[in-house]
Amino acid sequence: MEFTREIYWNVGHGVWTLVPMYLLVIGAFYLLIKGFMKRVAVYRQGLPLERTDQPLARIRGMVVNILLQKKVIKVQWPGLFHGLFFWGFGLLFIGTLLIVIQADFTDLIFGIKFLKGTFYKLFSIVLDVAGLVCVVMLGGLLIRRFFFPPEGLETKKDDAIMHGLLFAILITGFIIEGARMAVTELGTSPAIWSPVGLVFAKTMSGMGEQVLLGVHKGTWWVHLLLVLVFFVLIPTTKFRHIFTTSGNYFFEDFGPKGKLVKIDLEDEEIEVFGASAVKEMTWKDIFDADACTLCKRCQDRCPAYNTGKPLSPMKIVNQLGEAAFCDPEVNLIELIGRDVLWSCTTCRACQEICPASIEHISKIVELRRSMVLMEGEFPGEEVMTAMEAVEINGNPLGIGYAGRGEWAETSGIKTLAEDPEVDALYFVGCYGSFDRRNIAVAKSFVTLCQAAGVKLGILGKEEKCCGEPMRKMGNEYLYQSLAVENIERIQSYGIKTIVTSCPHCYNTLEKDYRDLGLDVEVVSYTLFLEDLITSGKLKINAENLSCTYHDSCYLGRHNDIYDTPRALIEAAGGALVEMAKNREESFCCSAGGGRIMAEEKIGERINIARVKMAVETGADVLLSNCPFCLTMFEDGVKGAEVEDQLQPRDIAEILVERIEKS
Amino acid sequence: MKILVCIKQVPDMESKFKVDSDGTWYEKSDLVWRMNEYDEYAVEQAVQLKEQVKDADLTVLCIGGDQVKETMKKALAMGCDRGVHIADDDSNSKEPYEKAGIIAEYARDKSFDLVFTGMQSQDKGSAQVGLLIAEFLDMPGVSTIVDFSYSDGVVSVKRELEGGMKACVTARTPLTVTCQLGLNTVRYPTLPNIMKAKRKELLSIPVEDLLKVESRQETARIYFPEKKGTGLILEGGVAELADKLIGILKEKTTVLT
Repeated sequence: MEFTREIYWNVGHGVWTLVPMYLLVIGAFYLLIKGFMKRVAVYRQGLPLERTDQPLARIRGMVVNILLQKKVIKVQWPGLFHGLFFWGFGLLFIGTLLIVIQADFTDLIFGIKFLKGTFYKLFSIVLDVAGLVCVVMLGGLLIRRFFFPPEGLETKKDDAIMHGLLFAILITGFIIEGARMAVTELGTSPAIWSPVGLVFAKTMSGMGEQVLLGVHKGTWWVHLLLVLVFFVLIPTTKFRHIFTTSGNYFFEDFGPKGKLVKIDLEDEEIEVFGASAVKEMTWKDIFDADACTLCKRCQDRCPAYNTGKPLSPMKIVNQLGEAAFCDPEVNLIELIGRDVLWSCTTCRACQEICPASIEHISKIVELRRSMVLMEGEFPGEEVMTAMEAVEINGNPLGIGYAGRGEWAETSGIKTLAEDPEVDALYFVGCYGSFDRRNIAVAKSFVTLCQAAGVKLGILGKEEKCCGEPMRKMGNEYLYQSLAVENIERIQSYGIKTIVTSCPHCYNTLEKDYRDLGLDVEVVSYTLFLEDLITSGKLKINAENLSCTYHDSCYLGRHNDIYDTPRALIEAAGGALVEMAKNREESFCCSAGGGRIMAEEKIGERINIARVKMAVETGADVLLSNCPFCLTMFEDGVKGAEVEDQLQPRDIAEILVERIEKS
Repeated sequence: MKILVCIKQVPDMESKFKVDSDGTWYEKSDLVWRMNEYDEYAVEQAVQLKEQVKDADLTVLCIGGDQVKETMKKALAMGCDRGVHIADDDSNSKEPYEKAGIIAEYARDKSFDLVFTGMQSQDKGSAQVGLLIAEFLDMPGVSTIVDFSYSDGVVSVKRELEGGMKACVTARTPLTVTCQLGLNTVRYPTLPNIMKAKRKELLSIPVEDLLKVESRQETARIYFPEKKGTGLILEGGVAELADKLIGILKEKTTVLT
């Protein structure tokens, strides 16, 4: 016998089925599209932002992300459950589509049937199992959400509707299958290709044929209506993420990673800087809110949220969306709250984990820009003092600018003004130049280069702060004036390579300065040293060292440099014990986002929290690669009272102690 | 209401100062320049007054070479309406009486209701200019104010006295006040105001047109005081610190013998 089944069995395939069915389907799609058109009008309140360039690459990225659920399964269990549900539901959707194609098109018009034979067997078993997987996954997620909700998971009406409706769709599907099989397939060989349906059929078989026919027909129409309700509800419930989250994969920021949009300060027409209202944000900022599924992965990882500060990246994104839809004139800064906006360290943990490709940091910086540039507001007087210090002396520490190169006087390294013939310019940064603890790091790096026969030069008093902390605090004007001066100086010496030992300088010179005309290669000192070691120019003796390593946000998440520092530690003989939060999941030291200039007045101190995580590893030394991190950890070990157990050090410092003496 | 605020550009006090070759002032190399701190309070208070009375015209005045225009721009960005730059490349050698004379000469026919200035400059610190302006213009002068309010032509201020006391003083306009730390918190100029400041009127007048008085004093010499004894910072762990301290006490004093 031929393996197949009669489509529209018992329901009928005449005008009285097809006409009402297709009218309902058209109606549902009409409402679906109309619902989204309304939302698109709301997105359009925002400013333009180019996110449709390179369409092929965007489509490829979107398809890969959707089909492989790449970002979703980064968080193992709930991610895998969602992924399996998605794949299952996707197969059911394709299966239904195949039925429509055969019954209402190929068979109806051309008399061609393809749901038969081996293909039908495959079709039947795949859909049957997919349905079961969907039920199990949905059940698991339902139990998690409603009975064992993790901290911070918000459950709203939407969630109940979604779980209920999806369950109803799946179960009615099995009832239809069971009823049909009870009448037509029980005891025949095709039945084994629908094992779940078979269980339903056996359970229902006692009902008698007439009842089964009635149940089948009734449930068929209920199932159809439920599916149509699902379509209609997409725009107005969190179901919309099927389209908006997928869309956000298309509208992804193509980088460079984390680079902020430059304000054109030459344009004298601009009167509003930064954003304080919905219409001053971009359309993407509003769209992001619609792509959010409230999975709270950002919040779980936010260092501010986790130390008792009022910031939740998820909440900001949704407040913005709510304002755009319900109260577009509202002042966003008042709505969200100043303390919330100042709490962000721009550590990027939220953005890195977000399964919906939402961009949190640029929103926060845009709102900060409004506070700083339009109102002259800062999180505290100490920040304003630091800003003024930068304006005058080119460093936030307020130390006389002329002494910037003094640290190097005994290091055998000259300024470019004295000797411009160098292998690379070492852009030292403010902390390496002025902070005693970090001067030790700068000196170590210079010694390592000298041991490898590399000639470095510095700018000395001609160098100014790179402007990164000011920019992240919202002071775009000060950032650009610093950047323009630095770039002019650097270019005037005709330098080919710049090396930095501060990831904030690195990120700024490598990405942000490009917008202002810097065209010199910029290298992080970690890569620079790794090159010297692998090429054999720098010889390091491996010596035992019990250590843990902290991925700074700006070398790690912002620039994806994770392996190089670890390779350096290995070369130095370090026995590395990782902290629970490492690599992409690293926990900020508290000093990013310009917070190095600010006092941390709310909640627990982030640096102490991080130091405690390092202590848990039992390692003797806490290694890092960033002057801000080192400063915060030196302070953190005192705050956590673990000075005797844990010593914060920079990677360069352990390498310099291990230079092979020739 | 017409308001005048007089400011001075001074080196940042974090700089390393050296006495110049004449021995009468500091060397200008390796210095960065900023607005005299006390003058910042004066500008802030003048701008606050303008915001209060609304109908006011606020002029900022500065004596010095072309480079002082940078500092004047900050005052304009903070909210002053116009700038008067009295061009003088040799302003440092002028004594307070001459400076006050120059300012008074400019202000005489402008009928300012209020003149604000810092209580002293951070580099010269004579604390005379503000009060001499008041004398030249024949108006009351109130020094070292830490609180200011204005209503219907009457100014009420608090003056800082020694020993933590304050004095409340009232005077009718026209009036000159000199401003002390604690008077207010200086605002950070907003970007739109920085942009606007670039387009505000900034008039330069040669100092010769306004210098009508003669110098009555002269700086003979400036110098760093001789170092008498130095501090010593000990470093290390607690035990190490204690040992070092005992060593020093034994070696250099008689307290442990």
